Amino acid sequence: MGTLKEIMMSKYILSTKYWALILCVSTLFSCKNHEDEYHNINDKIEAKSKEYNGTSITSDKYIDHIKTMEITEGDHTFLIPERKSQIQSYNCTECHTKPLTEMQKNNESYKKAHWNVNLNHANANTMNCITCHNGNDMDNLHSLTGNQIDFNKSYILCSQCHTKQFDDWKGGAHGKRIGGWAPPRASLTCVNCHNPHKPHIESKWPARFNTQTEKERK
Amino acid sequence: MGDSTKKWFSLNLNSKEKQSSDSCGCGKTTGGCNSHTEDSISDDAFMEAAVNASIGEERHKDGFEQVFDVKMDRRSAFKKLTASLMIGAGAVSTSCSMIAGEETKEKAQIDWEEQFKGNYKLMSNEEKKGTVDRLVRSYQMRTGKNISMSSKNAEEDVLFGYAFNISKCQGYMDCVNACVEENNQDRNSEMQYIRIHEMKDGKGFNFNEADDNYYHEVPAEGHFYMGTQCFHCDNPPCVEVCPVQATWREDDGLVVVDYDWCVGCRYCMAACPYDGRRFNWSKPEVPEAEVNKNQHYLGNRLRKKGVMEKCTFCVQRSREGKNPACVEACPTGARIFGNLLDPESTIRWVLENKKVFRLKEDLGTEPKFWYFMD
Repeated sequence: MGTLKEIMMSKYILSTKYWALILCVSTLFSCKNHEDEYHNINDKIEAKSKEYNGTSITSDKYIDHIKTMEITEGDHTFLIPERKSQIQSYNCTECHTKPLTEMQKNNESYKKAHWNVNLNHANANTMNCITCHNGNDMDNLHSLTGNQIDFNKSYILCSQCHTKQFDDWKGGAHGKRIGGWAPPRASLTCVNCHNPHKPHIESKWPARFNTQTEKERK
Repeated sequence: MGDSTKKWFSLNLNSKEKQSSDSCGCGKTTGGCNSHTEDSISDDAFMEAAVNASIGEERHKDGFEQVFDVKMDRRSAFKKLTASLMIGAGAVSTSCSMIAGEETKEKAQIDWEEQFKGNYKLMSNEEKKGTVDRLVRSYQMRTGKNISMSSKNAEEDVLFGYAFNISKCQGYMDCVNACVEENNQDRNSEMQYIRIHEMKDGKGFNFNEADDNYYHEVPAEGHFYMGTQCFHCDNPPCVEVCPVQATWREDDGLVVVDYDWCVGCRYCMAACPYDGRRFNWSKPEVPEAEVNKNQHYLGNRLRKKGVMEKCTFCVQRSREGKNPACVEACPTGARIFGNLLDPESTIRWVLENKKVFRLKEDLGTEPKFWYFMD
């Protein structure tokens, strides 16, 4: 009798276990099948980007009319517009045949140039022309310590002071993309938006005013 | 109370039994409580008179009956029946007639097929192409102009997201203009998907004190600017409430509307906590010269009266790899758009490195539109 009871008991335990297993599996699957299987958008992004294989969409065709160059800064590699070909009278040495000091000595014989450039960037204690320009090498810029900086990479010059903006720009939080959202990434560089001689952006009037909304409010 | 066993009051509306005259809702059994004007009028009669005075005929008929249960004599019934038959027969006869021109026939055929097409969400790729081709042909026949319309589906491994830098936005509203032009929005009602709110410094996001229709030099002293539009929620309440499933979330995260399936009930408009949706109260008008001819079925194709529309992150642009028109137009770089699933994308860098937040996060709508500051 005792053995029979034991067998019955063990069978009972076994079947309970079996049912518990089924229950577990079914809850697992019902969760999986549910349309919203993620708790929030961050979970979804994290889970789905693990299997990210890249897309077939590119923004190549939206930037091929712009002359760009690839730069690598820290962990970021992306394209920026080439600058030298856009500067009207580059090379500068076509006019600046002699060092600046010599040209200034006999100013009678040379035409006045750059009359429209009025430096309005930081204050006079911090900056003047030769903070960025090199009087002995007008085709290049130079850093605060006198290292040569190419006109195409003028962002290096800006990043000496504007370090936060530089970090944000590298990551993509500051500045503007050209082309589209799809890779390859092409971003405008500092001088495409900010005039280095006058970086302050003027206020202006809004592009539109909604007369219908105004009417509704009355 | 007449019935001593009853422990509740019951309203005696529409019941055949008459309320016993000795009971009254006010609990008094004698004297007047002013709810009975005259003893000679029974409760039923009183109800009748009161309801008639307020809503009259309407109350007898409800919904379907109001339209179909109309008293009419045989003559007017025949008239109406003939009129509707004529319309139906017209469509059939023009499409089958030997006399009608080829173009008229084709137009009738297109109208017929457009009338009875299904929900875009359930269409196969061939059916999608079919309806897009019909719409293009129909526009060509109406105006003599060619448009291109896409039915491009969501791409694998793409989930669109948006970030908005509130320290950068200066309130220029160039984005709004670009959006209106790109998306063929109604010029008469000056519909705009995007609103730019001018907010007072130090008050946070206070929409009660914000102005979204300012006209003075910007940025104004002591103010900051932030934009709202459809946030393309991952858990969109507007989709939940749509009774006909005319709006849904695509696989790349865009919340879209099938303008031909929408019945214009505006439930979604009420359900959206962000004022992201717009309704066409009148027939949307866009001057022919200003129509953006690069269209998508779910995006900026021309709408009709009585349907909902909203920002689609410019589906016609974004699925081709371009940025939405607002992102491209912004002169300050305050708007960042990209693929949330690409770990190398700039939008991901912003989400991971800046202090981001969303509007009304506690609602659980999971908007894919983040705000951040420098």
